Amino acid sequence: MNWYKFLIGSSVGKKMLMAMTGLCLIGFLAVHLLGNFMAFAGAEAFNDYAKKLHSLQPYLTVLNIGLLTVGLVHIIVGIILFFENLKARPIKYNVYKNPGGRTIGSDTMPYTGILILVFVIFHLLKFTFVDKSVTPIYQLMAETFTNPLWVLIYVIAMVVVAVHISHGFWSMFQSFGINHPRHMPLIMKLGLVVTFVFGIGFGILPIYLIIIT
Amino acid sequence: MTTPKTIDITLKVWRQQGPGDRGRFESIPVKDVDIHCSFLEMLDFLNEKLILEDKEPIEFDNDCREGICGTCGAVINGIPHGHGRGMTACELHMRKFNNGDTIVVEPFRARAFKVIQDLMVDRSPLEKIIQAGGYISVNTGGTPDANAIPVAQEKAEEAMDAASCIGCGACVAACPNASAMLFVSAKVSQFALLPQGRLEANSRVLAMLKEMDACGFGNCTNHRVCETVCPKKVSIRHIARFNREFLKAGLVGRLSLDEEEKI
Amino acid sequence: MQYLDGKVPGGSLAEKWDRHRMELNLINPANRRRFSIVVVGTGLAGASASASLAEMGYKVKTFCIQDSPRRAHSIAAQGGINAAKNYANDGDSIWRLFMDTIKGGDFRSRESNVYRLAQVSNNIMDQCVAQGVPFAREYGGLLANRSFGGAQVSRTFYARGQTGQQLLLGAYGALSRQIADGQVKMFPRHEMMDLVVAGGRVRGIIARDLINGDLEAHAADAVMLSTGGYSNVFYLSTNAISCNVSAIWQAYKKGAFFANPCFTQIHPTSLPHVSGHQTKLTLMSESLRNDGRVWVPKDSDDKRTANAIPENERDYYLEKKYPSFGNLVPRDVASRNAKQQCDAGKGVGPTGRAVYLDFMEAIKRDGKEVIARKYGNLFDMYRNIIDDDPYETPMMIYPAAHFTMGGLWVDYNLMSNVPGLFVLGEANFSDHGANRLGASALMQCLADGYFIVPNTLAGYLGEAGNSDVGPDHAAFNESIQKVQARIEKLLSINGKRTVEDIHRELGRVMEDHVGVVRNEDGLKTAIEQIQKVRAEFWENVKVAGPADRYRMNLQKAGRLADFLEIGELMAVDALYRKESCGGHLREESESEDGEAIRDDENFCHAAAWEFMGENAEPRLHMEPLVFENVELTQRSYK
Ligand SMILES: Cc1cc2nc3c(=O)[nH]c(=O)nc-3n(C[C@H](O)[C@H](O)[C@H](O)COP(=O)(O)OP(=O)(O)OC[C@H]3O[C@@H](n4cnc5c(N)ncnc54)[C@H](O)[C@@H]3O)c2cc1C
Ligand code: HEM
Ligand code: HEM
Ligand code: SF4
Ligand code: F3S
Ligand code: FES
Repeated sequence: MNWYKFLIGSSVGKKMLMAMTGLCLIGFLAVHLLGNFMAFAGAEAFNDYAKKLHSLQPYLTVLNIGLLTVGLVHIIVGIILFFENLKARPIKYNVYKNPGGRTIGSDTMPYTGILILVFVIFHLLKFTFVDKSVTPIYQLMAETFTNPLWVLIYVIAMVVVAVHISHGFWSMFQSFGINHPRHMPLIMKLGLVVTFVFGIGFGILPIYLIIIT
Repeated sequence: MTTPKTIDITLKVWRQQGPGDRGRFESIPVKDVDIHCSFLEMLDFLNEKLILEDKEPIEFDNDCREGICGTCGAVINGIPHGHGRGMTACELHMRKFNNGDTIVVEPFRARAFKVIQDLMVDRSPLEKIIQAGGYISVNTGGTPDANAIPVAQEKAEEAMDAASCIGCGACVAACPNASAMLFVSAKVSQFALLPQGRLEANSRVLAMLKEMDACGFGNCTNHRVCETVCPKKVSIRHIARFNREFLKAGLVGRLSLDEEEKI
Repeated sequence: MQYLDGKVPGGSLAEKWDRHRMELNLINPANRRRFSIVVVGTGLAGASASASLAEMGYKVKTFCIQDSPRRAHSIAAQGGINAAKNYANDGDSIWRLFMDTIKGGDFRSRESNVYRLAQVSNNIMDQCVAQGVPFAREYGGLLANRSFGGAQVSRTFYARGQTGQQLLLGAYGALSRQIADGQVKMFPRHEMMDLVVAGGRVRGIIARDLINGDLEAHAADAVMLSTGGYSNVFYLSTNAISCNVSAIWQAYKKGAFFANPCFTQIHPTSLPHVSGHQTKLTLMSESLRNDGRVWVPKDSDDKRTANAIPENERDYYLEKKYPSFGNLVPRDVASRNAKQQCDAGKGVGPTGRAVYLDFMEAIKRDGKEVIARKYGNLFDMYRNIIDDDPYETPMMIYPAAHFTMGGLWVDYNLMSNVPGLFVLGEANFSDHGANRLGASALMQCLADGYFIVPNTLAGYLGEAGNSDVGPDHAAFNESIQKVQARIEKLLSINGKRTVEDIHRELGRVMEDHVGVVRNEDGLKTAIEQIQKVRAEFWENVKVAGPADRYRMNLQKAGRLADFLEIGELMAVDALYRKESCGGHLREESESEDGEAIRDDENFCHAAAWEFMGENAEPRLHMEPLVFENVELTQRSYK
């Protein structure tokens, strides 16, 4: 047991946890994104899809519990890292420049993370923990996105997600120990692609909906 | 061409009389600095003046003055070792500054590095990490012929890349998390690459990791600043190798009882 | 005067070391922990000795000035380390390495020591490879070799341009392992201030904690000094700032003989003097002379830039004077000639202390790429420090004090004439005679530390037993008081000149008169001038205190005080040695066409000086050098 405590509790162990859970979260987002694209096929198709999805019990519950656990681990470890790292330099520099290497993404990981958390809470309240028997999910979305404020919030949230992933994606590989001079440039490029696909992919739907309604 | 030229600068430098002192910045104008001298020689030049004026000289660590011993180091205008790339503070020359510049000089900051005086810090935690396993456990004598174990050239080269770390601690100073991962991974990586080092690879990576965490360094979150400021251009590839070694050792690696107990 | 006995064992050259080890006392492994050993210095010699002795079971205390043992100046060695492995299959052997080293030292070293050095050179490589030193490899995975410093065979092993660093990190790793095991107690940021000798043997040292200034007494059954060389007596040298003579100088003052102090090596290809505040001459690889052509303007005080001087107004003095070797003459010949050109007012650069090393022709011949591949990193380094592009304008170089062959006299066991005081590495008077071959210093330091002293120490301890004197003995107290008084004296002078200022003045005297070229008048002047500078120091220096805090200035002052004394002894020794030999040319002993003439009749010995009291003339002792296996020859580079 002590062994696991050491493995998980060590700085690199925590990093592995972040990378593993981060990978799961990216996986979830990818599926979610595909699902979202169904909305472009129209209200019926999307509602059908949602229904089908919800009928996949008990698998869905299991998946949801898994997702919740992964999310919680990612968040809790992320917060631990944040505070530990804050403590590691008690006296700050008077002048502290970025000589290169650091990016907006890497600099803001904990902050974008928290923003994502806040967003997800609202998001769940809005779309998951609501009674969908009266208004089906597509209509619920369409309704929400008639309000430009919600569109704006969502678009901003998607930018935040993109920023988080812009660092998170390649960082995950590095954490797993995958860094080879031959492949790293490709991973970096892939990270950029994923960043834009997620950012634009998610962001386009609210905009699309506000335009068509 | 090396034509003589001097500049006037103002140093805004951290002064701290000892670990107990709170410390403060002091602005000191330095006139007629020969641009062909190094940053440390500029400090010498200033110290000579301070001494003659009955003021306290600025203490800073230094020794070889050619970028190899890893003794020197300060954060110069917000960057450890200053804005020259792939060089230490002792290799940074004053011609890289302009007349009238104000240069802010601070000690390396990290919880694990206590300030001893002015710009000097205590880097002994790096020693402790090496003592935890940064070596191959062979005694003197009784070793096989040097050519008995061939080492693939590219591995030897990669090991040399890692081994060129001079232990200056700039990576820690630059890392937003004050993490020592680049330093530690360089040593782990060097030995992980060599057949001689493989024998103890499992215990080494875990023991050094444990010591690093115990010393109060931060966690690496892959900011990459470390490799940017590293005077020897040690790559974060070695951090990745460290992570691999960690996975290997932690999940499937065999350790002797002794070694497990230590960890 | 007394003839010194090197305690060379009997038997043929090849069997001396084996035989000697059979004859030496042994200490039972279980008893070793009862012996405490103080090792001063953590360079290749000190770190390897500390680690090896601790592994054997001795209780070791190790001291160094730097904040980490890994930072000793051995870290700076670039070129490589020799070993007689004959991996290159080009005719090398222990015998050849021995011959080359003896010849390289111009027949001023002890035959038996040098042979032993060549013998253990192979064990060193085995040891370092086992420690994980990342030496350069061939594609097949075997170790790569190169020919270095004009050697006819490829026997030099290297780890990029950082061989010393990698070897030291290997020894440092071994040392760290012993520190972790509690077998070595490490004292970084500690400076040895005095050697304690009482009752006819060494008793320990006084060390100063550089952080808080505390003076500590450390008793021991034996003391090993591995404190490196003293080239910093020249102020500007390739050595690190903290390199000093103080440790061995205090030992000298406690009765240890100082041998051949005047033997110094001046390296021809260091970066030049470019600023008045310069504190360091960075070494550049000698390999540059393979393609660079050395020249100065024909007319003195030619202020034109290099490229503005037409071909027919350039003096390629080495090519002219030494047609067969040209720019590849040995280190001392190249250094000597550069110095002579600069003295004649033909020096170039802002301070007139530099000569050109020109690659224009090589670039024209081989193309920029080829040259960049060979010397790219050196050119980059040059560009950074000098701010000039060697691809466009000729490089400037200047000779720099680099290595001191002189040091404390030791016998075959590496023990000085003070019982229990061992001296290792560059600090002893060494196996390099009057000149050191490239890549041989690293070898010697590691031979001393890993393989020689662990054997010979037992020989001494087995005979002498434990020292029965603790750190509270009067001798320690006396020493502490003496050291204390000196520190107080330094701080109380409160004069008008800084330590650096006076050190620069000493350096100029040394460079002008006790460098590569010497003559009687110059040396006499030097002695006078050094005495004057020394008097000036003790009257007019200003040292920053307080002593109970880290004060680099105070440390430097203490070291300068000792440099001001060794400088004089170097001049005295140089004056005494009326021959040209090894790294230096004595103008009175020069052939008509400027060749060095060695005088084997009168000077085929090591000159070991005994301290006779402050301001008293030191007394000379001799160890005659007997060559039973090699024939003494004169070198010629015409
Ligand atoms: C720039 C340069 C390049 C070189 N290149 C080569 C090369 O390519 N090949 C080769 O063979 N040789 C080379 N040499 C020579 C070789 O590096 C040295 O001779 C050798 O490393 C000396 O090792 P050492 O262990 O005797 O002393 P050092 O490594 O100098 O160590 C001295 C130690 O003693 C300590 N010390 C000194 N005084 C005190 C004191 N008073 N109290 C406490 N501690 C003290 C120091 O802290 C340090 O730990 C080179 C030398 C230089 C300067
Ligand atoms: C769907 C949402 C999220 C995804 C896809 C995601 C993805 C990732 C990924 C891939 C990493 C890189 C891991 C690594 O470097 O090995 C990461 C790191 C991080 N995440 Fe998230 N994350 C999400 C949400 C959050 C949330 C809600 C937080 C809240 C605190 C957070 C905080 C962090 C932090 C602090 C890091 C940096 C840690 C490190 O690099 O070691 N993330 N994230
Ligand atoms: C424009 C962008 C998005 C839209 C339109 C959208 C839409 C939806 C909808 C409609 C649902 C409810 C599905 C259902 O219950 O039937 C949902 C669930 C969910 N969304 Fe989103 N989403 C978006 C972006 C995101 C992002 C960026 C995240 C995470 C960071 C996220 C996390 C979740 C989670 C965790 C659920 C709950 C899943 C479950 O219960 O299984 N969403 N989303
Ligand atoms: S990795 Fe680079 S920055 Fe860090 S200690 Fe080593 S040399 Fe210095
Ligand atoms: S900057 Fe710090 S976060 Fe990691 S990659 Fe380097 S140690
Ligand atoms: S003083 Fe040695 S690296 Fe700067």
